[in-house]
Amino acid sequence: MEGRAVTFSPLVSLVAVLAAAPALPGIATRTRAFLTGRRGTPVLQLYADLGKLVRKNVVYSRTTTPVFRIGPIIVVATVLVAATLLPLDGHQALLSFSGDLVAFAGLLGLGRFALVLAGLDTGSSFEGMGASREVTISTFAEPVLFLCFTVLVLATGDLTLAGMLGERLSAIWSTAMPSLALTGVGFFMLALAETSRVPVDDPATHLELTMIHEVIVLDHSGPELAMILFGNAAKLALFAVLVVSVLVPRGLLPPWLAVLALLVGLVVVAIGIGVVEASMARLRLNRVPQFLVAAGALAVVGVILLLR
Amino acid sequence: MSILLWGACIILLGGASASLFRRRITAGDRLFAGLLAAGCLLGATPAVTVLRGAPTMSASLQGSLPGGPWSFALDPLSAWFVLVILLPGAAAGVYGATYLAAERAHRNVAAVHALFAVLIVALIGVVTAQAMMPFLVAWEVMALSAYLLVVFESERAEVRRAGLVYIVLTHLSTLALIGMFAAMSAHAGGNTFADFASGSRASGSGRTLVFALALFGFGIKAGAVPMHFWLPGAHAAAPSHVSALLSGVMLKMGIYGLLRVVGLLGPAPLWFGWVLFGLGLASGVLGVLWALAQHDLKRMLAYHSVENVGIILLGMGVGVLGVASGQPVVAVLGFTGAVLHTMNHALFKSLLFLGAGAVVQATGTRVIDQLGGLGRRMPLTATAFGVGSLAIVGLPPFNGFISEWLVFRGLLSSAGSHEGVRFAVLGAGGLALIGGLALACFSKLDGVLFLGQSRAPSRGEREVREPGAGMVGPMLGLAAACVVIGFLPVVVLAPAQLVVESVLETAVGGIAGSGEWTELATRLSTVAFGVLAVVTVLLLARGLLGRARNARTVDTWACAGPPLSSRMQYGASSYAAPLLASFGPLPGVLEVREATAFHTHLVDPVQDGAVLPVWWALGRLTGRLRGWQGGRIRWYLVLVIATLLGLLFYLMQWKGAP
Repeated sequence: MEGRAVTFSPLVSLVAVLAAAPALPGIATRTRAFLTGRRGTPVLQLYADLGKLVRKNVVYSRTTTPVFRIGPIIVVATVLVAATLLPLDGHQALLSFSGDLVAFAGLLGLGRFALVLAGLDTGSSFEGMGASREVTISTFAEPVLFLCFTVLVLATGDLTLAGMLGERLSAIWSTAMPSLALTGVGFFMLALAETSRVPVDDPATHLELTMIHEVIVLDHSGPELAMILFGNAAKLALFAVLVVSVLVPRGLLPPWLAVLALLVGLVVVAIGIGVVEASMARLRLNRVPQFLVAAGALAVVGVILLLR
Repeated sequence: MSILLWGACIILLGGASASLFRRRITAGDRLFAGLLAAGCLLGATPAVTVLRGAPTMSASLQGSLPGGPWSFALDPLSAWFVLVILLPGAAAGVYGATYLAAERAHRNVAAVHALFAVLIVALIGVVTAQAMMPFLVAWEVMALSAYLLVVFESERAEVRRAGLVYIVLTHLSTLALIGMFAAMSAHAGGNTFADFASGSRASGSGRTLVFALALFGFGIKAGAVPMHFWLPGAHAAAPSHVSALLSGVMLKMGIYGLLRVVGLLGPAPLWFGWVLFGLGLASGVLGVLWALAQHDLKRMLAYHSVENVGIILLGMGVGVLGVASGQPVVAVLGFTGAVLHTMNHALFKSLLFLGAGAVVQATGTRVIDQLGGLGRRMPLTATAFGVGSLAIVGLPPFNGFISEWLVFRGLLSSAGSHEGVRFAVLGAGGLALIGGLALACFSKLDGVLFLGQSRAPSRGEREVREPGAGMVGPMLGLAAACVVIGFLPVVVLAPAQLVVESVLETAVGGIAGSGEWTELATRLSTVAFGVLAVVTVLLLARGLLGRARNARTVDTWACAGPPLSSRMQYGASSYAAPLLASFGPLPGVLEVREATAFHTHLVDPVQDGAVLPVWWALGRLTGRLRGWQGGRIRWYLVLVIATLLGLLFYLMQWKGAP
């Protein structure tokens, strides 16, 4: 940000991405339905759900403490602050400093901690089960995220997310393409795991015993459930931003065009998720770590390709 | 320096006061707490002045003392560790006065208070000593007073056993240190650290031996894997406020020693960096994995100390790599991360042990799976413990995040060099895995301990209550320190950098400009305050929405099944089971399946898998030798003559007979 005229494009792009986020799960679900020969829910269903939930009353469990009430708020807050670290317009982030990628991961971790504790606060065995599965998966997802970032640090020599996903990345994009492609696949697999999509979790399941993400939030209601649903959609958008930024050199485009490209890219990623969901079954829970280790292996191959 | 001495005297006086007022018990306790806190605060003032840039203070005892002059000094490194000792020390001491008050009737509590004071003063002696003899004397006083505190509840067999393992290992550590000092003084003109510094730098040879012995001796004290196995037992056995001091502070003496040796011997070789890095990675990953498997609250926290020592060693490894490969930025980041994490861990680990003590005293059990729902009964303890958990997991905006951020940055910055790429990939992946596992571990602990419903079926006869102000106050104070460092890292980054510069001595250009530090610190603060601001706005928004006020309260939804009972909650073991299962035999969980029962049995793979088998084999072997001691004079004479002949032969053959 230093030594450069501050423009409004980072702020505008942040608003645009957050506004578009609730459409992404809808697009993915619709794609899946289309490919499996069903009509499916409308693409904009989540907006309607959010609007309905915000106007509803809250129901609290007798067992819960303030931890349960603040959990959804922290989930949303961390995703929002994490979003300010990404160069959404391909050039600048609202907040950028050397090593901000650690803060990005840390903020998502804080949100997860709050979500899991809110689930455990209900004292229900179902929510405990979901919390246990959530932390199991995220434990393996965390190193993958850092390995993917390491590839980008190595490729660009920049320790800011704004640089390693923005202009610096675009500058070396053509030479480092193989590694970046692998990293993009790694981010895509992470997006599936972190936002509970097939093959890690199935958002369409109706059986509590098989749920992961859905079951942690069984007891949330009203505006607080809306916050969690929005937080999850926004998190999906953030990981989709990572995928798009790595695969498309948006730093070469002017900011406004880059935002447009990002929005198109988000839709493509969501369709991709839908295709994956339609084409493969869910993994057994104890296979999920292997899925993530494979993603990590891709990143390590990316490092090796850079060292040639 | 004299102020520090006065502080130490007041601390000792406080320790003695508990014994002097045997009749008026409350007065003795209060005097102990007051004098200890006053002594700690007084002793901390010269350390703070040194860390704000004042010149090194020193003092020396002349005269015919063994091992030359006994010199002491307060340089930035010592001053930093004096603060690491005194801040948790004061909190734990004040807490201890209330914590042990209930045990006055049937235990010698006054002795614990006295030993506690002695331990603090010995720790100060270790970090301020500037010569071999005072260092070793203070080291031994520290080790022995800690031993006596560990075996406080010596009527329990497991406590005696833990004490035995601890005392054997700590003397192995002392032995290695004596060897290390001997190797150092072989090339030096005297026994002070200054002599060692000039001697070792001049000679160059023998440095490998010194580094190896330092790794072994200080590694045992720090509890690095595979030399950690004394730690969980000893720290779990001691009274909780003593555990806080042992785990939060005494382990750091190993870190202090390693930093001191690096400072004395000048640029450390690359292999030293790799060994530190490897020890750090092993301690970090395995420590947290073993912690996740524990059923006992205090043993779990103790294993987390292994993990955090791992993170510190990782940072030091990165720092040594930076020095060895000529990357000053990497060196400063790695060492600063290590130094800062030492302080942070001292704060949050003592906080967690104090919280654990409050839980154990209120409920009478240390078994995690028998607890639950304590948050409503003990909200302040739960809040303080929650802050400690967030800090130890390394989540923003708490202090653990700041130091882990520095280590991560060091790792990623090192990727520029050829050697550094390996560090970066292994270290970034490893540190992230440690963070993920720690998150699993502490979400389990917080969730099972403080949230949900109580798991004890008949807790009726024992009312669980918040402990008194004497215990809550110190916990909240430590929690406040964790929050302040997390939100305003600028207060600790500059002193930490001063410490690192004094250790490295050589000018460290690049990042060393203070402008950049403040810049980075403000950016980290921005993130912290940003989260706080958004949370506040959302809270206000929810309040304005007005829906939360007419909320309904119902039972937790049981998925249309029968009502949930507290026995149906997810327990700690089931919570951790899927994660532990994916690591195979590493966590050391043995499942015992019987016809009517299922339970898990925990082993420490290093202690039970490697050390004890060797130990017993050694015992069997030496048992065979026992037959030689049959009491027959003739046989003894044969042995004596055979030995003499052997020696004679050796001298003639290899030493060259005239």
